Amino acid sequence: MSTKYKIGVFDEEKTLVASIKSLQERNLAIFDVFTPYPIHEVLHLLKRKSKLPTAGLIYGITGALSVLAFLYYTSVLDWPIDYGGKPFNSFPSFIVITIVLTILIVTITSLFTFSVRARLFPGQEAVIFDDRATDDKFIIVIDAELLGGDAANEAGRIMSESGAVEILEKDLAEKK
Amino acid sequence: MENDNTQNMPFMKENLRLSMPFKIVTGILIVLGIASVAFGFMQDPGRTWANYLVNNYYFFSIAMGGVFFFVIQYISQAGWSAGFKRVPEAMMAWLPFAAVFFLLLYFGTHSIYHWSHDEAVADDKLLAHKSPFLNVPFFYIRMVFYFGLWILFARMLRKFSLKEDLETGTKWFEKSEMYSKVFVFILAITFSFAGIDWIMSIDAHWYSTLFALKNMVAAFLHGSSILILIVLLLNGKGYFPFLNKYHLHDFSRYLFMLAIVWGYFWFAQFMIIWYGNIPEETIYYSVRWEKGWQTLFFLDIIVNWAVPFFVLLPIKASRNKYVILIVIFFLIIGQYIDLYLQVMPGTTGALKFGIVEAGMFLGYAGLFALVVGFTLSKANLIPKNHPYLDESLNHHFQ
Repeated sequence: MSTKYKIGVFDEEKTLVASIKSLQERNLAIFDVFTPYPIHEVLHLLKRKSKLPTAGLIYGITGALSVLAFLYYTSVLDWPIDYGGKPFNSFPSFIVITIVLTILIVTITSLFTFSVRARLFPGQEAVIFDDRATDDKFIIVIDAELLGGDAANEAGRIMSESGAVEILEKDLAEKK
Repeated sequence: MENDNTQNMPFMKENLRLSMPFKIVTGILIVLGIASVAFGFMQDPGRTWANYLVNNYYFFSIAMGGVFFFVIQYISQAGWSAGFKRVPEAMMAWLPFAAVFFLLLYFGTHSIYHWSHDEAVADDKLLAHKSPFLNVPFFYIRMVFYFGLWILFARMLRKFSLKEDLETGTKWFEKSEMYSKVFVFILAITFSFAGIDWIMSIDAHWYSTLFALKNMVAAFLHGSSILILIVLLLNGKGYFPFLNKYHLHDFSRYLFMLAIVWGYFWFAQFMIIWYGNIPEETIYYSVRWEKGWQTLFFLDIIVNWAVPFFVLLPIKASRNKYVILIVIFFLIIGQYIDLYLQVMPGTTGALKFGIVEAGMFLGYAGLFALVVGFTLSKANLIPKNHPYLDESLNHHFQ
């Protein structure tokens, strides 16, 4: 992870979106965008695709199958009990438990996956590029180390041209 | 800037005109229906009355699905559907016809409802106990009452909607919302009772507290599917030019969500009875579990729940017109199977599908299409002055 970033602060959604577009026109890679509320156009422009739903589907299928296998093991193989003459392996009565446990399994494992991918764990200090992004400002973050000095400066120029109210430079290493 | 869209949109094809081929085809279907009813009464009156009930309830439930859809759009103040509101309005126009058909059921009461025979009630403690509620005069008094309320509210909402076209402002919208809220409560109670009266009382000894709710969701699900079918057919003819993939996604969400709820209730009703294993309850399912009915029994849950659920699960499929049309095709068959399974084992007791069944269904379908088409052609297809109309015309989400 690089440590040097260029940050453009915007007042409005409109100027932010325009700035993202002109940055992309010049092939200047955007590291990330932080907004006070979700903006569809930003999601669209950044082309970020999450694989979390796919992971969730895999967890769901594995979860459902393992719960059914567990129920089969407990009520057919290990300790069969006759309930009102019903077959030991009675699918309808397994369904409710399977649904509930599958939901639990998917929720917990998805949360876990997300936390690992986002490098979140208890005690982790969050990297906040600009505090005002949690309030009413929109910010674009450019990875200055990845782009190199000239390109980062050009990105800063483009952002201020397209309406950024402030351009900041941040070195994460300095803090430590 | 964006408000001008209403003027610029190419929906100058404002009024629907019923084409001659449409009138001819529906006319042929109606004649076919009448012929098969006549043929049925000559062959086997009992079977024909049972079919009469199935088809009555089928198209009535679709009209009620339109009503549900309409009132829920107002209650939730949904914006995306504002442009399509003429379609559920037109479906509501079937209610007076349904009322007439249901009242004509009077002449077939004895061949459908076991409890309507005095001698059956005399030998039967349970039926005697239920007779203060379940007797022929009160049955029809209730029917008149239900239909009276439904038609009154449906006409009122239609009137408000047409008046809205003439005036700007949100007066009529707010009024429609208010009356929709009242109507939905009335629907919940009266439609539950109607389902219990007309369908569940066929098996008068059997009862299920989930029955009415399941049938209500079935009406909503299948009514929505017909509504979407009408929208897509009209779109194919060049109406509703603003229909985009987001509208389609929202429409198919209704099918998806309601199919899940329907499947949930279906399973809840089945599992409680299956698990409890009380003979007076399981008799209902044990009949439907036998050789002849078993295929239909499983087809019911597959067609009404599994098909919409698995087909509409991927986002691409739920935004595809042709995929939605295939699901609707299955759901049209699904509601018939569901009703057939609810009515036939208790009335004719025989699994038959022939000229009478097919002909009557086609006849009803023709009349329904004609009534809905005629009502659609009476008013401009896209409403004016609806506060959310712009949102509907420019509907967009991620």
